[in-house]
Amino acid sequence: MIEVAVASGKGGVGKSTVAASLAIHLSKQGYSVVLADADAEAPNAHLVLGINSWNEVRSYSEGYIARIDYSECTGCGRCAEVCAFKAVKYVGGRYVISELTCEGCLTCSLVCPESAISRTRVVAGEVKVVRRTRWGFPLVSSLLTLGRPNSGKLVTEVKNTARNLAADDSIIIIDSAAGIGCQVIASLAGAHMAVLIAEPTPASFSDLKRVHAVAKHFGIPSALIVNKSDINPDYTEVIIEYAKKEKIDFLGTIPYDEDIPKSLSLLKPPTEAFPQSPASKALRNIAGVFEERVLRNWSKWRYEFKPPEARPYVPIIIKPSEYSISGEVK
Amino acid sequence: MGCVAVTGGKGGTGKSTVAVNVALAAAEYRDIVLADLDVEAPNDHILLNAELEGREEIRIMIPFIDYSKCVKCGTCAKVCDTGAILAPKGRYPFTLPRLCSGCRACYFACPTKAIAEGFKVIGYSYRTEITSGSKSLTLITGVLREGEEHVTPAVLATKDRALRESRDLLVIDTAAGSGNTVTASIDGSDLIIAVTEPTPLGVHDLELVLELASRLGIEALVVINKVGIGPKEKVVDIVVRHGAKIIAEVPYSKDIVKSYVKGVPIIEADPSNTIASKFRELGKYLSEVV
Repeated sequence: MIEVAVASGKGGVGKSTVAASLAIHLSKQGYSVVLADADAEAPNAHLVLGINSWNEVRSYSEGYIARIDYSECTGCGRCAEVCAFKAVKYVGGRYVISELTCEGCLTCSLVCPESAISRTRVVAGEVKVVRRTRWGFPLVSSLLTLGRPNSGKLVTEVKNTARNLAADDSIIIIDSAAGIGCQVIASLAGAHMAVLIAEPTPASFSDLKRVHAVAKHFGIPSALIVNKSDINPDYTEVIIEYAKKEKIDFLGTIPYDEDIPKSLSLLKPPTEAFPQSPASKALRNIAGVFEERVLRNWSKWRYEFKPPEARPYVPIIIKPSEYSISGEVK
Repeated sequence: MGCVAVTGGKGGTGKSTVAVNVALAAAEYRDIVLADLDVEAPNDHILLNAELEGREEIRIMIPFIDYSKCVKCGTCAKVCDTGAILAPKGRYPFTLPRLCSGCRACYFACPTKAIAEGFKVIGYSYRTEITSGSKSLTLITGVLREGEEHVTPAVLATKDRALRESRDLLVIDTAAGSGNTVTASIDGSDLIIAVTEPTPLGVHDLELVLELASRLGIEALVVINKVGIGPKEKVVDIVVRHGAKIIAEVPYSKDIVKSYVKGVPIIEADPSNTIASKFRELGKYLSEVV
């Protein structure tokens, strides 16, 4: 099983389009593929594939929210003072815990002098499955409970569901969220490689370097695709240079092409809606390169593009000032 | 201080472009602070071609265990929601700082007060004075450390720093998505501007954000960006259904990409451009309504 995380840092650069195109191409080439949409806050892979019904939708319970029993509450406000997530507010003459922003740490319940705070299990979101898309491969998606935390844990649940649907020789393609936080870390954790996507703008380049730093924390090899490369060819070169320097395998470029948004509106993958358009040709070409250079030479490729040194994430720790005991922090 | 949050759900619809241009446009009339709360992928300073200054650490509490007071009861590990404290039976507990969210539950729960407050630096906030043409504003930017997964505390700390500025108007630029980092960013705003694009993906994610805004009781205005890349009827449907209002339609244009690449916001780079005038109108409108 090879898990491939498609990530970019910046949003809207083409992660879902590339992930879906890769899945379709590899599936057509006879690979066993599972597509996992790991963007629980803005899941879009199913839309690129034109999918609007699911074989299975199940809710995933994870974490708690705190609830105040107002018959016990004296309105002292200790809960609001200690909440690290600012989820307790004074509204309409009483303290109210926001059902959206409560992280479920229950710190408030530990300080409440009246023991008026209890916990309730919450639904973190839904996991959705299409067992067999029109191309044969399964799609696993999700939707976070609106506005709530725990998207990272939901992504992990999506990946576990995808693994259960996969065979030993499957390729799992993980369409990550924008950013570099919880959800993206959950997408990259355990992945065997990252396919990074950038567009030739300074903003995208900055975000690419950030997500690549996270990929390096996990010690996984990366490949790069530059999308909309022709909107700024000089800057495309800058990004390709970076890839060379950083030992990222450059897979190719995709030109800006109005047929891509058009195909999205038609709810069809671009390679099927407009097979002859420049972007579709580039997408197929890149999928072909990916198959030949990466998958067929997997044991060699993963070694060749492995980050030169393992750089795990090291938290910056500040010890308590009065702290003199030789307590170790591991 | 009035507060407007620019959000949208889907990534790459133009949140930062709208936030930066509208904030600059409003700066002609009001004293503006712009807060880039997309701490995972902060880009406003790049669009403004500015070097970040005025760095401050964003710290969250992490527990240090005072072994002279610890009685190995394991309470700290039991109350820890993120599994950041391990307490093997009969042994001293130890912490895994990477997993700690800084909630302080262990600190309050420890019966022998054996937990001292240390800190973990999860990122940095910056304060940069921006001058662009005749206008100026203050930019507060949050930057999460690469590898850190606790995003919300970084958003809240950056927002706090921006709120301390007490200007006429705070313009917030949020991350993509519809989870709690976005909730934390937009909570308490007077108004949100949801930037979307006329594609099924844009519509799908816009709906999530409009629903979130209505749950928080915040009025929503919608900017349809990249008009022309697809049919906009579905966007209009969603907006009407959620009782929101379309405030601007911005055509897709390569000019905006050019200004984006150059690091000069379009209202400065090409003031006579129709898009620039749309942003100016929106900035003026915000300076009046909020």
